[in-house]
Amino acid sequence: MSKTGIIQSLWDIMKREIKTLIHAPIYWFSMIVFPLFVIFFFSGLMNEGLPTDMPVGVVDLDNSTTSRKLLRNYDAFQQSHIVAHYPDVNQARRAMQKCEIYAFMYIPQNMERDLLASRQPKISFYYNNSVLLAGSLIYKEMRAISTLGAASVGSAKLQAKGLTQHQIKSVLQPIATDVHAIDNPMLNYNIALSTTIIPACLALFILLVTAYSVGIELKNNRAKSWMRMAENRVLIALIGKFIPQTIIFTLVVWLYQYWLFVHLNFPHNCSFWAILLIGFVLVVAAQSFAIFIFSLLPTLRMSMSICSLWGVLSFSISGFTYPVTSMAPSLQILSWLFPMRHYFMIYQMNILHGYSLHYSWMYVVALLAFILLPLFMLSRLKKIFYKYVYLP
Amino acid sequence: MIKIFLNEFRRVFSDTGVLIFFFIVPLLYPALYSWLYNNEIVREVPAVIVDDSKSSLSRELIRRLNATQELNVVDYKENIDEARQLIMQQEARGIVYIPSSFAADIHSHRQTTVSLYVDMSSMLYYKSLLTSLTNVTLDMGSEISVSMMNSQTHREEQIAAAPLSYEAVPMFNPVGGYGCFLIPAVLMLVIHQTLILGIGMSSGTLRENNRGHKLITRQEAPFGIARVVLGKTLCYFMIYLVMSCYITMAIPRMFNFIQLAGFWQIIAILIPFLLATIFFALTLSCLMQQREHVMLIIIFTSVPLLFISGIPWPVSSLNASYKAISYIFPSTFGINAFVKVNSMGASLGDILFELRALWIQVAVYFLLALFVWKPKRWNKE
Repeated sequence: MSKTGIIQSLWDIMKREIKTLIHAPIYWFSMIVFPLFVIFFFSGLMNEGLPTDMPVGVVDLDNSTTSRKLLRNYDAFQQSHIVAHYPDVNQARRAMQKCEIYAFMYIPQNMERDLLASRQPKISFYYNNSVLLAGSLIYKEMRAISTLGAASVGSAKLQAKGLTQHQIKSVLQPIATDVHAIDNPMLNYNIALSTTIIPACLALFILLVTAYSVGIELKNNRAKSWMRMAENRVLIALIGKFIPQTIIFTLVVWLYQYWLFVHLNFPHNCSFWAILLIGFVLVVAAQSFAIFIFSLLPTLRMSMSICSLWGVLSFSISGFTYPVTSMAPSLQILSWLFPMRHYFMIYQMNILHGYSLHYSWMYVVALLAFILLPLFMLSRLKKIFYKYVYLP
Repeated sequence: MIKIFLNEFRRVFSDTGVLIFFFIVPLLYPALYSWLYNNEIVREVPAVIVDDSKSSLSRELIRRLNATQELNVVDYKENIDEARQLIMQQEARGIVYIPSSFAADIHSHRQTTVSLYVDMSSMLYYKSLLTSLTNVTLDMGSEISVSMMNSQTHREEQIAAAPLSYEAVPMFNPVGGYGCFLIPAVLMLVIHQTLILGIGMSSGTLRENNRGHKLITRQEAPFGIARVVLGKTLCYFMIYLVMSCYITMAIPRMFNFIQLAGFWQIIAILIPFLLATIFFALTLSCLMQQREHVMLIIIFTSVPLLFISGIPWPVSSLNASYKAISYIFPSTFGINAFVKVNSMGASLGDILFELRALWIQVAVYFLLALFVWKPKRWNKE
């Protein structure tokens, strides 16, 4: 086939594909409407960065000036908000079981008196760890307020003993800590989660739509005419068919990247062009992976099932919430089979932290390797398109 | 109705696609997820030490850091830049920097500062390293301040250093395990999603197979819509009662997750949850033109649904529109009811709100399903 012949048949297949995409509403939804929904859904969900004003309760049996002052100061903290006072621990616990509050502080009777008499009273915090994020954030604030409370009492006493401010500081906290969360100093959960959840969702759509649109050719008995248009060249058929989809998906991914890294100004330490390039590579890698899966399991339902398995597992196994290094060793190896895992590694190493490619090249190579997968399957795909029939 | 029920039963078992969703996925997914998170917490996060102090006190600090379960000292470097190399190579996740004045500060009663630099690729690395460093510096600090003061008694020193003590009691998930926190919610979500996928695929097939693209076939029409809907519901309900018992009772036992709920409590949640989900799925069936469409429409919703259920992200931080969306889906109430009873030991009285909401959904989606399944054009033909 001559060069112009190839271009002609590519063009014809592309036109055919565009026609298909426009006339089936399911493509509109799963390529544009749902992905856009996901982008704005997640970036809006966590737009505060950290949850604020989470409801907490108080059991204040002391009810003294000191305890009220402590609670007032505590209420001023950003993440906790005192919504109720309970007469005893049991009622506070029940409120916690109903999730009306995420935690409560227990102040024992005679706290003020014991404090003044140097009997070292003890206050307790009970926090709900079944809602892990709320529990641990509130715990941090409760610990901070009691350290501050102790410090204000302690410093008054030490001052009376004749110690200077510097000495008091060194007595109350001889070793201070100074924590630097590199590139996400405010511990913004939107930055930590949206940067991977959203592309993982987009990759899920790409996997499913790709498998669907290949499989549907068999289902609708259009595979043979499609192959004829490509003059029996599987590669031409695939490229022609997927160029329009690649363009749409790449635009969607770029929109997401623009929205997060430019509009919402998420931290990134590489050029925006590099981010766009990585986005494009992710799209093509996911498409190629789905074509590869289809060539292994050439039925619509099996290939879509495997693609959804892969897509859904990506949320866990890319390791952006629970790190892969803490999973079973066999799972750490398995994680290499997921395109999203490599995207996440490239994101956190090159985009977020701005390390050079020198450190992340194997993830880039792995992601590019997914693109080559369908090339090994061309002859098998040809057989599939000519011989296989659709199984419901 | 029995006939419809038997018909549907036969259809389910002759359709491999539906079987995958009704049996294979519910059997495998929960086990797979539990396996992923079975280590529960992030232990021994690799950290590199930059010790400019090189004193016995700094070595004591390092020894204690290394002894905590959260942190593991992998290397010592001369300066921050060299330590950063290890972070870039992903061999360490944090740097602990001890300044040269560390020991001198402590001996001359000045407050000293230890710095921690954390790679933010995962919040859990941050949490582990911070916990380890905070605990060790507080412990060592209080020992130092006790030895600094020349009071009459040991007890007096302790009190001067910490006049107010505190204890923290993590409830319901004492070790703060990631699996114990996430898995109960995921289990209910798996039931919800597979049920919708299976029913959606089954009704999509119905649509494809008859000429008018209708949900009710000509053979079934004479029975009346209510009987058809109820007959199908009975079939799905019976299959899923068994599957849900495996998911909500056997899986937590197999993987040692928290299980505070009794058998009848779980059943009391499952009955309205399954019914609401089935009717909801039957209502959604009107969107499925082809059997495969259900996968394109439903699968991606899993992660958003999990997030608005209020377990990964506190419900108090969801704004009104997200909350409104979450009230549409049975999963929100099912997940909350199950987590409260199962992980937090609430009684059925404590989850009245969720149970009521589920029963309301049962009623609403039953009526909607009747409306959707009503054959509009049969009379005209």
